[in-house]
Amino acid sequence: MKALVAVKRVVDYNVKVRAKADGSDVELNNVKMAINPFCEIAVEEAVRLKEAGTVSEVVVVSVGEKSSQEQIRTALALGADRGIHVEVEGRPEPLEIAKLLKGVVDKEQPQLVILGKQSIDGDNNQTGQMLGALANMGQGTFASEIKVDGDSLQVIREVDGGLQTLKLTLPAIVTTDLRLNEPRYASLPNIMKAKKKPLEVTNPAELGVEVKSHVTQLGVAPPPERAAGIKVEDVAQLVDKLKNEAKVIS
Amino acid sequence: MDFTFTEDQQMFAEAARSVLTAEVTADRIRDRWSTPSGLDLPLLHQMQELGLPRMLVPESLGGLGLGQADFIMMAQTCGYVACPEPIAEQVMVTAPLLVDVLDRGLGHGAVQTALDALQGGALVATGHPINPFINFAEQAEWFLLGHGEGLYLLPASEVTMKPCKSVDPSRRIAEVSFEASDAHCLAKGESGAALWRSTLNRGALGTAAQLVGLAQAMIDQSVKYTTDREQFGKAVGANQAVKHLLADVAVQIEYAKPVIYRAAYTAAISPGRADFAVSHAKVAAARAALLATRHCIQVHGAMGYTWECDLQIWVKRAWALAREWGDEGFHKNRIHEWLLRPNALLGPDLTFGRGSITDTVAA
Repeated sequence: MKALVAVKRVVDYNVKVRAKADGSDVELNNVKMAINPFCEIAVEEAVRLKEAGTVSEVVVVSVGEKSSQEQIRTALALGADRGIHVEVEGRPEPLEIAKLLKGVVDKEQPQLVILGKQSIDGDNNQTGQMLGALANMGQGTFASEIKVDGDSLQVIREVDGGLQTLKLTLPAIVTTDLRLNEPRYASLPNIMKAKKKPLEVTNPAELGVEVKSHVTQLGVAPPPERAAGIKVEDVAQLVDKLKNEAKVIS
Repeated sequence: MDFTFTEDQQMFAEAARSVLTAEVTADRIRDRWSTPSGLDLPLLHQMQELGLPRMLVPESLGGLGLGQADFIMMAQTCGYVACPEPIAEQVMVTAPLLVDVLDRGLGHGAVQTALDALQGGALVATGHPINPFINFAEQAEWFLLGHGEGLYLLPASEVTMKPCKSVDPSRRIAEVSFEASDAHCLAKGESGAALWRSTLNRGALGTAAQLVGLAQAMIDQSVKYTTDREQFGKAVGANQAVKHLLADVAVQIEYAKPVIYRAAYTAAISPGRADFAVSHAKVAAARAALLATRHCIQVHGAMGYTWECDLQIWVKRAWALAREWGDEGFHKNRIHEWLLRPNALLGPDLTFGRGSITDTVAA
C-alpha cells in the first residue's frame, strides 16, 4: 500500500511571528522555517505504518516555492521514500493546494493520504477536507489513532466532548491531530541517506491545474497589547467586577 | 574559496539543535543535580539513536565517516544548551583517539571493544595528562589514560577514582589513578606523544566550540532579561550602559566563531598547523565566554549570581571549561612558539594552511 503525505513549509513554531512595519504581511526575512508540526505528525504516522509493514512506500509532497524542498528533504530524513515538489510561486490558497494535491493523487494512486489537520500559519483547516471532496475519498479528520484493517481504515477522531470512531473504505484521507503520535528526530545516517532519495519537481501545468487566487490579503496586524491589570480591594469588589464589568458570572 | 558550511553540515547541526534545545532545559539540568549519576540516560540513548557517537568513526569501523568540521556546530550547540552529558568529548575526543590507535595498528582487542561500546552509547573517558580531573569518571566503562608519553586503555574495574566537587554542579569530576602496566599500554614514546598531541587539539577545539555556545546562550538570556525587566518605567536594556556590556560580548563571540571554524578546517586539511589554530581558537573562545560571565551577571543585577537564576548554570560551565584542555597561558605559549619559529609561514594567504607540516617547515 502506498501512502502519500503532504507537508507544508511554515515559520518554525518557536519563532515569535512579527508583522512587517508596513503591515502588508508577516516578516519572513531571516526567519527560521520548518515543517508544519501537524504535517510532521503525518510523516511520522506514515513512517510508523511502513515500519509495521502496513505501508510499502511513503511519498511526501509539498506545494510551494523552491525552498519547500528543504522540508521535503527533512521528511525524507525522517523516513519517507521519495519526494514530489509542486513548484508554485507566492502563497497558494487551500483550494488551490487541494486541487494540486488531487493532481498528485491521480498520478500516484495512493491508498492512504495523510495531511496535517491545519497549518500553523494559515490556520485554515481546509485542505484535507477539500481534497477528500475533490478526490471523492472518505475522510477521517482530527485523527488521534488510526489502524489499517485489510481494505478499510479505522480512525479515532478527537471531537468536542470525546472520541468518535469511524471505519473508512480505502483509499481514504486522514488529517492528523496533535495526539496521534510524537514525531521522531531525524538521525544523522538518515539525513545522509535522504540526499540520495529521489525528489521529483513538477508544476501546476503538468498536473493540469490552473492556480488562480480568489483572496487578497489586505493587511496584517499584531494582536492588541494586553492592558495592565488592577488590584481589587476585597472579594466583594472582585465579585462585583466579574458580575458587572466582565459579565462572566451572574 | 567557499567558507560556508555545506547543506549537510547545516542539516546535521539543525538535527542536533532540535533535539538538544527540546530535551536539555534548565529545569532538567537541575533535576540531574539530585541524581546519583548526574546523567540523563534517556538523552544519551537518544544521542546514540541519532548516530552522534558514530559520527567521527570511519565507515569501515561501523561509523558515519564524518570529520571535525561536520561536528563543530554541534559542539557549539552542546555549549549553548549547557548539556551536562559529555557528548562533545565522546564524539570529538575519545572516538577519534580510539580510531587513531586502530589506524596505527597499535594496541589490542580491547580497543575495538571500547570503540564498539562507545558507538553503542557507553561512556569511554579520556584522561589527558593536561586535565587533572575526568568528568563523569564514575559512569565510564573504559578509560584512556596517560602516564608520561604512554597511552593506556583500562576497564573501569582497573582504575581507582577519587571524586571531587566541581564549581559546576552538572559536572561529576574525579581524580583517576591506575597502575601503568604493559598489559594495558597502547602506545609509548613518540607514537604515544603524537596521539596525545592530536587528542589535546581535538579536546581544546571541542571545548572552544562549547565555550562560544555558552557565551551566546548567556547573551541571549541577558538580552531577554534586560528587555523584560523594567525600572523607572522603561526596560533596563534601553540604557546604553547595559547595551554596551552585551555588545562587547557579542563582538568577542563574532571574533571567536571564525577562528574556531578555521581551526576545525585546519585540523582536517593541515594537521601540522593545528596546534597554532586550535590554541588561537581556545584563547578567543575562553575570552568571549569569561567576558560573557562577567557582563551577563552584571546586567542581571543582583539576580545574576543567585542559585535560583538559571544563568548560573551557564556561568559555572564556562568557568570550568575555560581551564580545561589548557588554560589561556598554556595556549598563548603554544601560539608564541609557533609564531617565533625561524621559518614560520605567516600571512593572510596562509590563514587556512597549505599542505602538511613537512611542506611548511621545508618552505
